[in-house]
Amino acid sequence: MAHSIRISYSACHGCVNCIKSCPTEAIRVIAGSITIIRDLCVDCGECLRACERKALGLDDDDWDIIRAHGEVDAMPDPTFFAQFGSYWYPDLAQEELSGNGINLLVDDLDDAFDLSAYSTAKMIEGLSKDQLPLISVYCPAVVRLIQLEFPELLSRLILVKNPIEIAAEMWRRRTKSFAPLTLISPCPAKITMVRDPVGNQPSSIHHVVSIRKVVHTLMASGVKVSSDNPRSESKGKRFAEWARRGGESKHVLKFSKRELSIIAVSGLRNTMDLLEQLELGRLRGVDFVECRTCDIGCFGGIACSESRFLSHMKHRNIQTDWILSPEREEQLAPLFQNEKLWKISEPIPSRQRLPLSSDLSEAMSRLKQMKAVFAELPHIDCGACGRPSCKAMAEDVAREQGEITDCIFKLREDISSLANQIISLADLPPNALKRIQPGKNIKVNPQRG
Amino acid sequence: MEYEIAADDYMAAGAASNSIKEALKMLGVPTAISRRAAIITYEAEMNLVIHGGGGKIVANIDESSVELMTIDQGPGIPDVEKAVQEGFTTAGDRAREMGFGAGMGLPNIKRNADVFEIFTEVGAGTTLRTVINLP
Repeated sequence: MAHSIRISYSACHGCVNCIKSCPTEAIRVIAGSITIIRDLCVDCGECLRACERKALGLDDDDWDIIRAHGEVDAMPDPTFFAQFGSYWYPDLAQEELSGNGINLLVDDLDDAFDLSAYSTAKMIEGLSKDQLPLISVYCPAVVRLIQLEFPELLSRLILVKNPIEIAAEMWRRRTKSFAPLTLISPCPAKITMVRDPVGNQPSSIHHVVSIRKVVHTLMASGVKVSSDNPRSESKGKRFAEWARRGGESKHVLKFSKRELSIIAVSGLRNTMDLLEQLELGRLRGVDFVECRTCDIGCFGGIACSESRFLSHMKHRNIQTDWILSPEREEQLAPLFQNEKLWKISEPIPSRQRLPLSSDLSEAMSRLKQMKAVFAELPHIDCGACGRPSCKAMAEDVAREQGEITDCIFKLREDISSLANQIISLADLPPNALKRIQPGKNIKVNPQRG
Repeated sequence: MEYEIAADDYMAAGAASNSIKEALKMLGVPTAISRRAAIITYEAEMNLVIHGGGGKIVANIDESSVELMTIDQGPGIPDVEKAVQEGFTTAGDRAREMGFGAGMGLPNIKRNADVFEIFTEVGAGTTLRTVINLP
């Protein structure tokens, strides 16, 4: 299982700030440093936000090595254009970066994002009310979260490839080029999307680097970073809207034959709440659900360089071109016919955590042990044992990955009972000094010497 | 496993369902089954909250099945046949204002259970027994 979170063991001081930020309780702090249970990690990047010592970082590819091979064919995430003022318009960004060793591939983004939204709208159209809502797969962290924590919702995932992947594929077909492609990513989830794509289709992209890294090198090399907007009269791109919550939904709606009921949320907490409610079947009458684990949407990605608040504000001032001509649909229809281009061919599998044991009766006895251990614990989820909760602690003990005395309160209890034993032992007089006190009957065992 | 459910506690409803689902996950029970168990428990919890005046849910798991029992000392069900019809409800305004009481509880439980039995006496309470067979 590929991941994109890097641990710097020298920077980690063994504080436990990160463990509770993880939505799947994948982090343990054992023997003074972080361990990530890789089976449980969804690459959302929340732990990076929680770590003040920067002991958790992005495991992206080495930008300097990629650049050393000459001009880089770079596929930008829509958030990339928000990173500096003058880069807002993709064609402008392309012009400015072409002199800096970056060939920014913006020409296929329009088609790819339109096709993705169009296909999504078509898929929703073909379903009955009880097969809805469908869930967007644009945020790879959401897909992984569903694979792991909400497997019942897997059938709701829209099997349309990420439009960034579609754009890469389109570029390849158009240019017949086999040159390595590099994605400029706003988050660890999209790094992992390239390294370990869902549905077992290999990615058309080879390398991934973080937006932050690219922006910082550009700034260091003196690229003009102006905040004025020389082409404010031109319309903004539809795909740029996907960088914030609701952009995808709006795009899908534009291609839909009927009015859709849509819920779009951002942030991890909202995403978890929404998925829980969906799982309980409490969201009836909804057609489409868009979740982003980052606040505000991809603008909030941990690998972005610009403030998400500023990106969002600047974005609101852009007039997006939402007018879709009938010819546009005619252009998309043949692309839609080519399912290989946009469809995820295999259903997305669940990724559940291993059970306590592969044998049911053994698993049941471990579950009982887990409950018994849990009952003994203080239930304050202090994290001092290096686990995010008393429940996780009980589970680790049942899996034989920890001792109950890892709990500081249990250890204190044990010490206290040991101390009491010592005191009561210390109170016993030596045998030779034992006196029969008046009024007290002491049994003397005549057999003992 | 046993869970106490309090009457009218709409906020806490769902806790037992989550806990049972979690336990089944730990045991490696297939997700299709744990989903059905979660739905049954959730609807049973809601029934206890809305109608039963509180009560308890008992889960027994063995190699062949998951048994879920719901026990209350509430008003009982006068007409069981009617109660398991979709859309039939006796829920009060409060429950319906909160989006519950659509008359789907018992039918939903029945649909997801392999064994579905109700023992009820008006004025004395209701015991619901459901079993899901394991593959």
